[in-house]
Amino acid sequence: MAYPYVHASEVRVISRNFGDPAARTLEGYRERGGYRGLTRALEIGPATVIDEVKASGLRGRGGAGFPTGLKWSFMPRAAVKPHYLLCNADESEPGTFKDRELIRWDPHQLIEGCLIAAYAMGSRHAYIYLRGEFFEASQVIARALEEAYGAGFAGADILGSGTHIDVTAHVGAGAYICGEETGLMNSLEGRRGEPRVKPPFPAAVGVYSMPTTINNVETLAAVPHIVEHGGEWYRQWGTDKSPGTKLFCVSGHVEKPGNYELPLGFPMMELIEDVCGGVAEGRTLKSVIPGGSSVPLMDAEDCRECTLCYEGVEAAGSMLGCASVIVMDDRTDIVREVRRMVQFYAHESCGQCTPCREGTSWMTQVLRRIEAGRGSESDLDTLLDMSAQMTGTTICVLSDSAAAPVVSSIEKFRDEYLALIHRGESAEVA
Amino acid sequence: MSGPARAPFRNPGWAGNVGEFDLSEADVRGTDFVGERPLDGGHPSVAPSYPYMLPGKDPGAVLFEGPYRERFEKIRSRYPTARGALLPTLNLAQELRGHISPETMDEVAALLGLPMAEVRGTVTFYTMYNKRPVGRFLIQVCTNISCSLCKGEEVLNAFLRHTGTELGETSRDGDFTVIEVECLAACGFPVAVQINSRYYENVLPDDVPALLQRLREHGE
Repeated sequence: MAYPYVHASEVRVISRNFGDPAARTLEGYRERGGYRGLTRALEIGPATVIDEVKASGLRGRGGAGFPTGLKWSFMPRAAVKPHYLLCNADESEPGTFKDRELIRWDPHQLIEGCLIAAYAMGSRHAYIYLRGEFFEASQVIARALEEAYGAGFAGADILGSGTHIDVTAHVGAGAYICGEETGLMNSLEGRRGEPRVKPPFPAAVGVYSMPTTINNVETLAAVPHIVEHGGEWYRQWGTDKSPGTKLFCVSGHVEKPGNYELPLGFPMMELIEDVCGGVAEGRTLKSVIPGGSSVPLMDAEDCRECTLCYEGVEAAGSMLGCASVIVMDDRTDIVREVRRMVQFYAHESCGQCTPCREGTSWMTQVLRRIEAGRGSESDLDTLLDMSAQMTGTTICVLSDSAAAPVVSSIEKFRDEYLALIHRGESAEVA
Repeated sequence: MSGPARAPFRNPGWAGNVGEFDLSEADVRGTDFVGERPLDGGHPSVAPSYPYMLPGKDPGAVLFEGPYRERFEKIRSRYPTARGALLPTLNLAQELRGHISPETMDEVAALLGLPMAEVRGTVTFYTMYNKRPVGRFLIQVCTNISCSLCKGEEVLNAFLRHTGTELGETSRDGDFTVIEVECLAACGFPVAVQINSRYYENVLPDDVPALLQRLREHGE
């Protein structure tokens, strides 16, 4: 059940316990079928668990959409070194608010997912890296973890199987970049959350220089269900390339914003108009950002035929990202909102790479100038030129993410930029 | 700007006041489930996650004594290196003192055996470490994209106006410090505001006076 609204089109797999406070307790979770996935995992063994996850076609829900089973299979089999599983609960992509709901409504589902993943990859220690702002969610997970340890689901000799897996809940201290997987590893080591150059990839040299896999909260939340029911079962929803269900975080100008769990491939307009009750106050649609602030803006025309799966959104010129659908109505000032997003990236740039450190602040200044009516048409060329220099030139993709809304908005909403520029020019003449 | 039409604010402070669920604030926040957390951090697995934005800060508090020493030892036991324990240890220090002064940084560096310069470099990287004392209530208003579309800036301005402060400044009575914050991951419940450890959601400009009054009278 998604939260805070429910819709008949939803398929409630990972969100089935949303809005149900009784499901938070170990007892309540078990009554609803909890920890069956872990029990089955211990029966079928690590290799078969990985095979099931591969068969399900589950793709990483943190934004990149990398196949989860394949990622797990990159971990070395030999247990000569400690292996780590990191759960990325640093949710901070603007527009995304699913992981906090998954944690606060169903903490045991996430713990079970972590335990199964750690078991499959031979990891004895999993860390759940929660963003520092998640004080309340961290308390919920803390209580649930204590219950899990108390009942023998975590710690030494899990359910009498001889398997030892520790889970530690860790909180960060406020930095968007710690959601980038190598930035998260540095942060977990007590360093500044600066992303690392890849290769080496985390499966070879990760946190504490040991083989590491990092998975998003939503990815791990799906794992117990896949292991319990089998990979094929999960494929009954979604498309061939994007199997399963996904939480869609809808925010902005819609009547009923919230999280909705839908099969991948769901039509975007049906999500906005039917599931979310339409654009707020009966206005018309101007633009949608389908996957969090790091992906290109779409205009109303792009949305018309768009289906919400990895390949569908790509075909419409953007990216599904973490399925954070930000809806903007016809009164939205696109230049202002793009400036607000770029300003965010300028604030969050870790400063390691020059194109990002300089580019994000410079872009913010140029956008502010245009917003204030002091821009010129050549500013648009400057922005596009900067965007090109900020894409694919840095250690991580923060800088690419800042460029995405700028390039796409100039392409789709050039008129709005020009209106501000020309209004300013005519004011000067007068 | 526009935003979804909503029922009148029954209880500013949680997300259960919109939508189709009939839930109490405790149901939404999970407070009954969580209960009272022990000062020593409880089970070692969760000692590093322990909250650190509790009311009643004392900038001169002695660090790492009694139950807090126990919590520190538990934290330390969960990381293969001393440096790994740095962030949770700083969180613990801030929980007690309310901010991380240069002296606190040096104390933590000595405790963990880390170079002082590296601890300073780490502290200054993260926005949640208050480098200076803040008011009894640290009010963080999200003005990022989804909140911006739903009056984020107006809510920020309302907080500044009704506390009589400038951005980042502490009110004369020492009660309030208002700052702008980047996305709090509560985008479906705009405007999202974090006050000390708690989220206050669906906040609109008109709710601000009542919210401040509630804080003055009942605390967080």
